[in-house]
Amino acid sequence: MAERRALKRRDHFIGASLCLAYVLLLATTAGELGMSRDESFYVHAAKSYAGWVSLLFSDPFVAIGRESIDRAWAYNWEHPAWMKLSFAWSWLAQKHLGLFANESLAFRFPGMLTAGLLLWLIYAWGASVMRREGALFAALAFALMPRVFYHSHLACFDVPIAFFVTLTAYTYWRALSDHRWVPLVGLAFGLALATKHNSWMLPAIFLIHFLWIRSDEARAGYADRTSIAWLPSMLIVGPLMLIGTWPWLWHDTWSRLLGYARFHLRHVHYTYEYLGVSYFEPPLPVSVPFVMTLFTVSLTVLALCLFGLYHQREGLRPPWKTKLGDAMGPRTDVLWLGCMLAPILAIALPTSPIFGGTKHWITAYPFLALFAGWGLVAVIDRADLDAWTGRRWPSWAFAALCLLPGAAQTAHSHPFGLSHYTPVAGGVPGAADLGMNRQFWGFTTGSLAEWISSRLPEGGSVWICDTTTGAWAMMHRDGLIPSDVRVASSMSAADFVLVHHERHFNEVDYQAWVAFGSVQPVFVLRYDGVPIISVYENPKFADRD
Amino acid sequence: MAEAGRKLSLSAWVWVLIAGLAVFELVAHPLIRAAIPTDDSWAAATAFVRARYQAADRIVAAPSWADPIVRSHLGDLLSLRMAAPADPAGVDRVWELGIRGATTRDEPPNLEEDFGGVRVRMWLVSTDRVLYDFVENVDQAHVELVVADGPQECPWMKASPARGGLEHGPMTPAERFVCDPRRPWLWVGATVLQDLELQPRRCIWQHPAGTDPVRVTFSDALLGERLVIHGGIDYQSERRRIHGPVTLRVWIDDRLAGELIHRDGDGWSGIDIDTSELGLDRAEVRFETTAEDPRARLFCWSASSVRGAVDG
Repeated sequence: MAERRALKRRDHFIGASLCLAYVLLLATTAGELGMSRDESFYVHAAKSYAGWVSLLFSDPFVAIGRESIDRAWAYNWEHPAWMKLSFAWSWLAQKHLGLFANESLAFRFPGMLTAGLLLWLIYAWGASVMRREGALFAALAFALMPRVFYHSHLACFDVPIAFFVTLTAYTYWRALSDHRWVPLVGLAFGLALATKHNSWMLPAIFLIHFLWIRSDEARAGYADRTSIAWLPSMLIVGPLMLIGTWPWLWHDTWSRLLGYARFHLRHVHYTYEYLGVSYFEPPLPVSVPFVMTLFTVSLTVLALCLFGLYHQREGLRPPWKTKLGDAMGPRTDVLWLGCMLAPILAIALPTSPIFGGTKHWITAYPFLALFAGWGLVAVIDRADLDAWTGRRWPSWAFAALCLLPGAAQTAHSHPFGLSHYTPVAGGVPGAADLGMNRQFWGFTTGSLAEWISSRLPEGGSVWICDTTTGAWAMMHRDGLIPSDVRVASSMSAADFVLVHHERHFNEVDYQAWVAFGSVQPVFVLRYDGVPIISVYENPKFADRD
Repeated sequence: MAEAGRKLSLSAWVWVLIAGLAVFELVAHPLIRAAIPTDDSWAAATAFVRARYQAADRIVAAPSWADPIVRSHLGDLLSLRMAAPADPAGVDRVWELGIRGATTRDEPPNLEEDFGGVRVRMWLVSTDRVLYDFVENVDQAHVELVVADGPQECPWMKASPARGGLEHGPMTPAERFVCDPRRPWLWVGATVLQDLELQPRRCIWQHPAGTDPVRVTFSDALLGERLVIHGGIDYQSERRRIHGPVTLRVWIDDRLAGELIHRDGDGWSGIDIDTSELGLDRAEVRFETTAEDPRARLFCWSASSVRGAVDG
């Protein structure tokens, strides 16, 4: 059971410092990451939306007309606008003020900012219910998850939606005891809705949690019961914000909303390799999100999370098992558990579309980290570590020890975040033995930029496999690849052919063999000894040296 | 007191357990990395194999994910037939470059050396001798598309290759028989198929056009004891298991000698035709593909005339 403790200025100083430090770390390490497939689509969309924003200022009546909106907003209509608008604003700021070191950083900055704000939020919420070292541990444990670190760099929606989901949960939690927070629940939920569809499950999670509390209160015989005002706030303000921030929905609203919902409810299935099998249609094994979490999050953090759950078991007890007359407070434990399990279970459902990547249940990880923080505090308390010396350093040393594996793994994972696996999987080579997905999105081409540039000093062309032309163009603009090294549309016309190693991409490998009459790559980009990209050289152009 | 003592020891255990997990992760991480073979190890191992390589040797990697590394060192020694074997024939020795204790064969090798974590093993194997590889001789064939008016010749020509890419199917070779430019998939030529197990198979692409056959004739093919035939459909098409079968009929001197009916889910499968009783060293061998519904039937086949290996 956890009661809320008021935060002090010092708490926000710590939260803000975490935020700032993480954003700086992300900004300084982003240059090593080639742009990913999905980012390139959102960049294209953001540029289109930026054009519309400019029109809105210069000629608002024309801008809000259907023709202008459709022209600007038809691209990438399947995702809401909020983050893409943020990317657009950031890019406009870069164009006019030159704030960032390069263009990709301008697009990525809003996502990085949400990652930093999420650390602040994790810390703040944690510090509201547990000792500060637990809260700090939770924020850092989240920041130092290798996959989280990777996704935090991107101009995508996954870390932003983790932030907005956590923010909505926090505002809901505050609104349960303070009516002033009720409008903020709707606002936060609106931003979550306007970021990504992961948010759709929030009302159901909150409703279950709320009924839990109400049941407690009924059994305790409370007359003054917790208000449900948060629900109308969510259901009214949330959709209004979704529509208000997304001009695509300003015309033909219902059919476009339905189209958006239908797109995600009937989402195409990706091909995803898991334990040696390439899945391409449901059902994906139920174990996927659990095993992938085990293989990609530090074991120490997971153990602390489990211990935190065990430690909080009293607060997780269902209403009918609580002692008659006992009220259990805001049931923070139940809310966190719901927010942690719902995204994981949604992916585990046999009927869910095949996604596979940890990013699809990344909204669970802030809560996993918070339980780990609780676990840390519980372990320290039970062991009474500080009593041994009469000082606090053993607790901090223990916390630091528990963070070190995540820190070491995250440092080593960069810039191959999606290829990284923890020692539980046997590391990167162990995961390759087990037949785990090695990468997606084609972003690892960024790690070849130097090699390609050195091999084509007088320009040339590259067939870029899973990398998009938009991502390649961004590498041009960022100065990673010379502008005279172009994308080849056909293998046979390219100087070099790249093959990103995912199992179902084997056919591309074989295509290159036939195209060039050779099975010998001239270079194999490896990460911990595991092939990431093979590069084939066109024998027609091999004498350039 | 006894209760307090029990609780204290349990608490200490949890702390030690968690600290132990952290230490395990911290130690395991560099240990895993330290066990990765260096470039020098790969170079030494592959140099060892290269110095002993003979024409009928096959080179494989264990585990299979290390294959690109092995090919980057020794790929120039590997023909497409050896890298994408349609059948096991024509191999005298198998070289395996293995890491992490992985292996492709259970029996003890005839030779074994270790190079800093890269284990080289070699087995002498007894496989059929290949007398005639139809895939490698496809340019010698005569190709026709049978239509209502009769056979229509498919000329051998240089044609623009495919762009390549995921779900694009096997690569069109630069030279191939082109049956109908309006149907770009209606060509015949040697390529590499990704079979249902995602393995590479060197084969002749012969997409059926319907119930009227696409016909490939080798007018003077060498025959041995058996004709070993395999066929399969591209992984992306076959994996959904929703399309109809493809029939490959084999005619030797105008007599139906065998029929391979490939159904989705069969994977890379085949038939053996006994040719020892025919008393022919050479014959006209004809391959015809048909399908009731030719949609998405990205069919590819291989055939070899073989004779049993001679011991010693």
